[in-house]
Amino acid sequence: MFIFLVIVVLTALAFDFTNGFHDTANAMATSIATKALSPKAAVTLCAVLNLVGAFLSVEVALTVTTAVIRIQTSTGGVRPELVTDGGFNILLILLAGLAGAIIWNVLTWLWGLPSSSSHALFGGLVGATIAGLGFNEVKWFGEGASLGGVVGKVAIPALLSPLIAVIVSAIGTRLVFAITNGVNQYYRETGFRWGQIGTASLVSLSHGTNDAQKTMGIVTLALIASGHWDDLHSIPFWVKLACALAIAAGTYIGGWRIIRTMGHGLVEISSPQGMAAEASSAAVILASSQLGFALSTTHVATGSIMGTGIGIGAKVRWSVAGKMLFAWLTTFPAAGLIGALMYLIGNAIGGPVGAFTVFGLLGAIACGFYVISRRNRISSANVNEEWKEDA
Amino acid sequence: MEQFMAVLNAAWQILLAGILFGAGLPALFAFGIRALAWGTGGEAEEHAVGEEKKPHLAGRLVAYAAFAFVMLGMLAGIGFIAAHGLGIAITFDGIMPVFTKK
Repeated sequence: MFIFLVIVVLTALAFDFTNGFHDTANAMATSIATKALSPKAAVTLCAVLNLVGAFLSVEVALTVTTAVIRIQTSTGGVRPELVTDGGFNILLILLAGLAGAIIWNVLTWLWGLPSSSSHALFGGLVGATIAGLGFNEVKWFGEGASLGGVVGKVAIPALLSPLIAVIVSAIGTRLVFAITNGVNQYYRETGFRWGQIGTASLVSLSHGTNDAQKTMGIVTLALIASGHWDDLHSIPFWVKLACALAIAAGTYIGGWRIIRTMGHGLVEISSPQGMAAEASSAAVILASSQLGFALSTTHVATGSIMGTGIGIGAKVRWSVAGKMLFAWLTTFPAAGLIGALMYLIGNAIGGPVGAFTVFGLLGAIACGFYVISRRNRISSANVNEEWKEDA
Repeated sequence: MEQFMAVLNAAWQILLAGILFGAGLPALFAFGIRALAWGTGGEAEEHAVGEEKKPHLAGRLVAYAAFAFVMLGMLAGIGFIAAHGLGIAITFDGIMPVFTKK
């Protein structure tokens, strides 16, 4: 049982790591594309800010899963009737859900597509819950006037947040170019790099506080379910440290394939556009967290970059935008499907062997994707190469 | 229906705050760059061949003031993130922020 818990914790940290490299692009793609920062400097800055951000989350919400599934009580504990088996089933659900999220994250990274890690996580958990506990244990809708459930926390924000970001960033870009009319282009480009770095740092910091928390919540939930932790008001320090390091390490590795798509694939951006895009992302993310609107950093960042192209009538590569849209729509159900499948496999084999099988499968699939990615490697060295259509 | 209204309620507030800060701060920064270019003169501004652009001290001062405001905005953003991380809820009484422990 203890070894099973260790596997779940390791898998959660692996998810946190993929969460890191998947989302480096959200904050840093624009700064790398406009050469405001060198690729290495950008990922280093972003990783440090993610680390700081993760430690800033002193108050970690243990209720991370209550938005979409019903395995927890409202205070953050696990429903007692679900852990009569010593928490085995809950651990398997968490493991399968995390596995679904990781596999989808790695696959979309291979494709160079920015997809939402939180949607992947929620999707995986929902899929594994349907397989493990049934359809009714999924919370589809929120209650009353507070947004909740799959519809309120996943579907609606996914539709609205990119739209809001597009509008804000298009307005910002248009204003910036109208105001700086008459300024020498080179002078403008270099001046805006400073603004770009500042706003991108804000996005990195808020990412650290938001996303590292989710994994901290999941790990602590696994500890609670297996009876290794019972304090609902705090989380173990090692959990916080491990999660902070995992997300920062992932960020530092950098998802270069995604950075390239967001910095060059969608729109070729200049540094004033970069600043407008990151400021829009930061403002929309902060306003949403204030209002408890659960949006995805990824959706906002891509929306902002798109908006900055639309704002000045620059060329937006709609074929790339179409692929991104596809990734957005499929992330939740696809991660769910993989999560469900993983649960069924683990449960059919049963016991610790089943858990090991899921863990092994996950490792094999992720390594397979990595091997495929080596065929056309994208790294800090060639991230800024000219974009070729359908490359 | 209540859910739908909750969505609309959040969405318009996010849009408004987004435009105010997300588009406003870059615009203010752009204003700073514009003023700095005017203040610097020379090659900082577009000019006809042979035309000479003079530097203006006022332009530079205005620019630094604009950048200072942008910095304040970003610091507010950092404070905001930190407050949320520390579990402090921020509510607004008019425009004055009120901090309460969650």
